[in-house]
Amino acid sequence: MSAVANRKPFDAGRAAYLALNLLLLAFLLVPIAIILVFALNPTPYISFPPVGVSLRWFVKFFEGDDFMRALWLSLWIAACVLVLSIVIGGACALALARGNLPGRAFLTAFFMSPLMLPAILTGLALFQAYLLAGIGRPVWGLIMAHTLVAVPYVLRTTLAVLHNFDRRIEEAAAVLGASPARVFFEVTLPLIRPGVFAGGVFAFIVSFDQFPVSLFLVVPKGETLPVVLFNYMKFDLDGAIAAASMVSILLALAVVVVLERLIGLKAYVKL
Amino acid sequence: MLRHDSAPMSSAASRRPSPIAWLIAPALLLFVLFFILPFAVMAVMSFFSGNPISNPNAVLTTRHYQRFIEDSAGIFHDALWETLRIGLITTVVSLLIGYPLAHWMARMQSRLGHALALMAVIAPLLTGIVVRTFAWMTILQDKGVINTLLISWGVISKPLPLMYNEFGTIVALVHIYVPFMVLTLIGVIGRIDERLEQAARSLGAGRLRAFAEVTLPLSLPGILAGSLLVFALSISAYVTPSLMGGTDVLTLPMLIAQQLGTSFNPSFAGALGVILLAVCLVIVIAYNAILARLSGEQGLA
Repeated sequence: MSAVANRKPFDAGRAAYLALNLLLLAFLLVPIAIILVFALNPTPYISFPPVGVSLRWFVKFFEGDDFMRALWLSLWIAACVLVLSIVIGGACALALARGNLPGRAFLTAFFMSPLMLPAILTGLALFQAYLLAGIGRPVWGLIMAHTLVAVPYVLRTTLAVLHNFDRRIEEAAAVLGASPARVFFEVTLPLIRPGVFAGGVFAFIVSFDQFPVSLFLVVPKGETLPVVLFNYMKFDLDGAIAAASMVSILLALAVVVVLERLIGLKAYVKL
Repeated sequence: MLRHDSAPMSSAASRRPSPIAWLIAPALLLFVLFFILPFAVMAVMSFFSGNPISNPNAVLTTRHYQRFIEDSAGIFHDALWETLRIGLITTVVSLLIGYPLAHWMARMQSRLGHALALMAVIAPLLTGIVVRTFAWMTILQDKGVINTLLISWGVISKPLPLMYNEFGTIVALVHIYVPFMVLTLIGVIGRIDERLEQAARSLGAGRLRAFAEVTLPLSLPGILAGSLLVFALSISAYVTPSLMGGTDVLTLPMLIAQQLGTSFNPSFAGALGVILLAVCLVIVIAYNAILARLSGEQGLA
């Protein structure tokens, strides 16, 4: 009734509401777009408006040994974290959803807690533990640290899929004579795959963009890309950072698209 | 397994753990070794005068906490206060920005519009904190976008101090944490039946009054949950305050990094960590209590 009465030719309140929200969206997106402007602007320092288009900052980034070493290290770590966190997080989600464990709510909250605690404290605590154990700061220590903060993302997306899917599909397979292992591999696993891999995308990005957990756990000449960028920005603010930022953003997007194409869509089609 | 799978759902609580429960083992191992143990180590180390393994003279002491409480240099209490103030302002501004966006998106009819807006909210999350802080530095610095534009338009004659202070820090932090606020609020507002507001309006309430007296109170759990999340995140921020705060801003996470980096005093850093952790735990417990009271348990994503 009121909805029909609202349809005036021009509704100032509604227009203002729309304008406000478009403005807020612009607040979210414009800073990211501006990075592209500075990545392509050839002036030796950050200046606005841009005077032209050049790829010199991308050249500087891709020819910089420190940048490249950090980029490959970050990619390698993120790949390890992706694999580890989908295995550990996926298994954990299955156990929580299907294992009839006592104290399920508590366990779920516990495994989610790295998301709620300051990541810089997780890094500090691991630094202290590695120091006390006298193991130095090995790359595997960094990988485990990233995995710890990535697992909750996989857990969350996988649990969401497990909650939504119809258990009778598994029961039907069992009734029709499939063994528990066969039910698991041919019914449960394909069904939760979209959730696990969606979590894997988050895990990759969380690791690739990770700063606070990495800060205290990297060694000189063994820094990840965000740490290298941070150290660079303390002294220089030029287009190389913008180019590196663009590369990071494009890589994150590429991972999303590739995983979605390779696994996500196929998993949905199989349903 | 067959029996357990075909058992009625209602008996779930009374069933014994199934073999699948063992799949929790890797996660449990990871969390014990790399989460519980390290935090325990940090807490214990904060009560030692040095590394108790490499240094046999290290003794138990509360002097790191005394040092914080006495604060003879006059910086620790200021840092704690600054941390909490930045967290509070960031949270309030994020709520003011995030609420209209979440409300708009939750009530949007068009699926395409909703998907596009959601992508716009998630896109900043896909770019790292360092990258987003860089973006704000290029916008707010003296030769940045805003100052250059205002000077070339003749609005101002010399650059406004937009960066290297609390203002710049908070602007960037809001940009970084608003998506968390929006994603928390969308779910809660989306579950409120729109017909309640329509009913209020058909009974004569104006649009604003219907919103203020129906939708707003019903979305209070989401407001609290989102605010606590943003507060917990922003009091632990390190990159943004240290790059954009200049000499004006010193927060607890920056102090911790200083103690590790320049002073190399891991025990005092540990004590500062325990203090920040205590602040956060209070927030997390409150957050969980509120989430538990939300009827739908759909999660934040």
